[in-house]
Amino acid sequence: MTKSKIQKSRQKNKFITIFLFLLVIAICHMPYAICQSYAQDNNKLFTLTKQIIEAKTNIELYVPFEELKNVYFKDNKYTEFVEFLKSLGQKKDRLEPFTNYYMALARYYQLKYLEETQNWDEYFNNGNTYRDEFVSAIQKTIDSTMFKEPLHLYAKLILWQFHKDQEDAFAESALLDLMNTTLGYAREEQNTKPIKDVADKLSSYGEKGKSKELYRIYVQKLIGSLKEDRELENIALEFYKEENLELSEALYDAYIERIAKTYPKEKSISILTDIVKLFSYKDESPNDAFYAEKIFEKIEDIGGKEAFTEELMYLRAFNLEKVKEHIKAKDIYIDLVKCYPLTTHADEADFKVGIIYTYVVRDVNSGKTYFEKLAQKENVSPQVVSGLYQLGLLNQWEEDLAKAKEYYDKLIERAKDDFQETVTLTKERLKEIDEAKPIEYNLKTFLDVSLKEEYMMLDMSKLDLKAQPYRTKKEDNVNITSQIYLAESGCFQVELQYLWSGHIGTTKPSSSKGTFDTKYLHSGTKEVNLVVVSPTGVVDRDIVMADVY
Amino acid sequence: MPVTLRVKRAKRTKRAQRTKRAKGMKKIYIVVIFLLALVVTLIFATGMMGRPKPGVYIKKLKDSHYQLIANRKPYIVKGACYNPIPIGENHEYDWWSDPHTPWLRDGKLMQEMGVNTIRVYQPHENIEEVRRVIHDLYALYGIRTILGHWLGFWEYPCPFYSDKAFQDRIKKEVLEMVAAYKDEPGILLWILGNENNYSCWGRVNPWSDEEIDKEADPQKKNLLRAKIYYTFVNDLAREIHGVDPDHPVALGNGELVGLDIASKVCPDIDLVACIIYRGKTFGNLFQSLKATFDRPILLSEFGADSYDAYKNLEDQNMQAFFLESQWRQIYENLAKNKKGAGNCLGGTIFEWTDEWWKHNESDPKGYKIHNPEAGWSSGSYYFDIKAPGNMNMNEEHFGIVALSEELESGLNKRIPKKSYYVIREFWKNPNLNPKNKKGAKSR
Repeated sequence: MTKSKIQKSRQKNKFITIFLFLLVIAICHMPYAICQSYAQDNNKLFTLTKQIIEAKTNIELYVPFEELKNVYFKDNKYTEFVEFLKSLGQKKDRLEPFTNYYMALARYYQLKYLEETQNWDEYFNNGNTYRDEFVSAIQKTIDSTMFKEPLHLYAKLILWQFHKDQEDAFAESALLDLMNTTLGYAREEQNTKPIKDVADKLSSYGEKGKSKELYRIYVQKLIGSLKEDRELENIALEFYKEENLELSEALYDAYIERIAKTYPKEKSISILTDIVKLFSYKDESPNDAFYAEKIFEKIEDIGGKEAFTEELMYLRAFNLEKVKEHIKAKDIYIDLVKCYPLTTHADEADFKVGIIYTYVVRDVNSGKTYFEKLAQKENVSPQVVSGLYQLGLLNQWEEDLAKAKEYYDKLIERAKDDFQETVTLTKERLKEIDEAKPIEYNLKTFLDVSLKEEYMMLDMSKLDLKAQPYRTKKEDNVNITSQIYLAESGCFQVELQYLWSGHIGTTKPSSSKGTFDTKYLHSGTKEVNLVVVSPTGVVDRDIVMADVY
Repeated sequence: MPVTLRVKRAKRTKRAQRTKRAKGMKKIYIVVIFLLALVVTLIFATGMMGRPKPGVYIKKLKDSHYQLIANRKPYIVKGACYNPIPIGENHEYDWWSDPHTPWLRDGKLMQEMGVNTIRVYQPHENIEEVRRVIHDLYALYGIRTILGHWLGFWEYPCPFYSDKAFQDRIKKEVLEMVAAYKDEPGILLWILGNENNYSCWGRVNPWSDEEIDKEADPQKKNLLRAKIYYTFVNDLAREIHGVDPDHPVALGNGELVGLDIASKVCPDIDLVACIIYRGKTFGNLFQSLKATFDRPILLSEFGADSYDAYKNLEDQNMQAFFLESQWRQIYENLAKNKKGAGNCLGGTIFEWTDEWWKHNESDPKGYKIHNPEAGWSSGSYYFDIKAPGNMNMNEEHFGIVALSEELESGLNKRIPKKSYYVIREFWKNPNLNPKNKKGAKSR
């Protein structure tokens, strides 16, 4: 035979082999072909298998294998996928790292699926086998691939996830190994996708420090290929919309670094303002208040306090208040009123400063100054009324009942028929004075814990009170929740009492509830107080403010 | 000289040399025999002077791996906490003297499952009855007993660990317990306390004294209490070793709370017996302990309940799922498993049978009701954490064997739950990474 004839014969044999293999696969999937969707799947399987068999390089294998996985995974056909991969792996040695990786992946998701669907029979009968198969297949992939190959990285990623899900002793070393491998890969390779994939997964598992590190590398590699600032900004915004805030922030950081060098001051401030509006605290959309404050600081560095408009300054104070950076928030609210005395937020700002001074900083006199300032205002706003209530309350707690009564009477006089929520509270206080009774227990406890010397060591760190939303319309639902950080007590349930007070709206939460839903019928800044008490004493206190419009 | 004479002389010389050599060899033999005899004598003498190995002890291997040795063989504790309170009774019930001998019924079931150890929190006052139970379980089923002592944790008023009179009384009780049972072949080890350490942090059964009261800093108050408590436990351990060198002494501890203090004041503690409820696994417990207090660990209380508080129905699969996962991690951290911490000695599941009295012990009517209400909350048991108030831990449903109201020879019928079978299968063939199976083999 001539050389060309031999070559032709070899090609023919190769074609027959591929054809027969595809035929076997098609026959294997015949039952599914009865349904149209299965027929479509079979067509897809046929095409993908052909692509895999004919692929000349490993790079060409990633996409068809991933698509193949999606076909099986969407119907949770994990065992079928494993069987298919086994037969595929036998055809070509080069495919084995891929078939092993996807076998491991299938078993990993299968175990999760069995647990989620509580398919216990299969879980208990085959779980251990699946686990063994996972460990064995993933190890084979790791052993048969180089660190420069994305598959090597993905194998280590899934191995770490496996241990992390089980919270076992190997999770830490697997994470270290994954990070080292990824950093090594990043040093050598230009393909950024695997780096982002690893970072995304780390982020979703709460490994924020590690994901940030990888995102930084990813961004550095990405910006190298982007010439236009606009492109960078668009990608950053895109990730913000996808709620991948970590990556978005890393890209914005790179973008800000670029514009700082080239743009004039005004233009830079305008861009930073747009960014800070994205990230500032909002009830309804993704936000990162701490990142926002970092940008606020940048604006201040570039343009000083003059760079802040009234709205921007309010936004900064509100943002800080919501992440309980109370002292900083108070200072910005003070600046806001100083710089913009006629701001529409003036009363809200003064009231909040009064509250923070009194109940967070424990500086009653400074607090009173701001409540007094509100009380002196001619126009009656909800905060003016609340300021009078606070003055009455503080005097009542200090046992200056005459003065307290004076403030309460003034409040009722100025409120007329409005501000019923505060008026109701005021009437309760007046009744206490009239009947020579102490302040209602929950409220008095809050005042004691916030203002008495003996409770100085309680710094609001063991209790976290939140409102959702913080900014709401009248008669809309508001959810108030509390989170307590207690020392371990094992299987001993520590009985806690939740002493709610302040403007708690239409609901009267019981002392056994750490959370409640309420509504407000009148506008204003509503302070909600909480003291948590355990059998051994006061755990901590907290205060939260919701703005009702 | 004639040839014959020369030959004769040569022969004589050779003979003389041979005799001389033989004499020399004889001397060497004598010296060697003497030396051998000396060595044997020395070995024998040393053996006589030193103690034989204790019946149960902890062997430290390389890399701070630890192995429990009983009767000269490695021993993995495959156990259950045992408190067989019948339906309708509460914790005051004296099962030790029950004429229907529940431990015999349970011992057989345990043996069939593969349980080799029971843990009892504190023995009954009647020494003979306790001895009988320990003896029966060991002699009939090969099941060893871990005996514990509450160290007055449930006394009223609170346990004042800094009070000398209180300390003396507890010490007397503990040493009497050890003296009474140390010679029982079925005894495995002693556990001092359970979750008493939480009292130092003031959350459960809080106590104080004048010196502690004087301290203003709450954190320092806790540390003062912890130091007092752990020092007391170490004193007990030291005294126990004096009376009974044959069994290890464990410090019972809730989680790892306070073990940094214990590491400084508890040199006489042999192992830590931890009470851990972390759901599917124990997290980094084993490594953390190694870093905090390098002692072997026995999981002396762990497990899951078999009631889904969210769906409000019995779910034995859920319990089996958690328990199997927990046992897998225990095995991964046994000695000689290269990937694990190697400091785990095994565990005692909480618990063998359900206890129907636990939900509200002040209501005797409730002792006859298998109460579905949860007593505490743990997010780690995630299947039913969405139950009202996140209360998902059903204290009356922790048994791996259910009790039926139907009586069998005077005892509530025992009905093994799913976890009984799942753990039985796991123990038969602990599924670990195949490379690690070798290290997991033991009695």
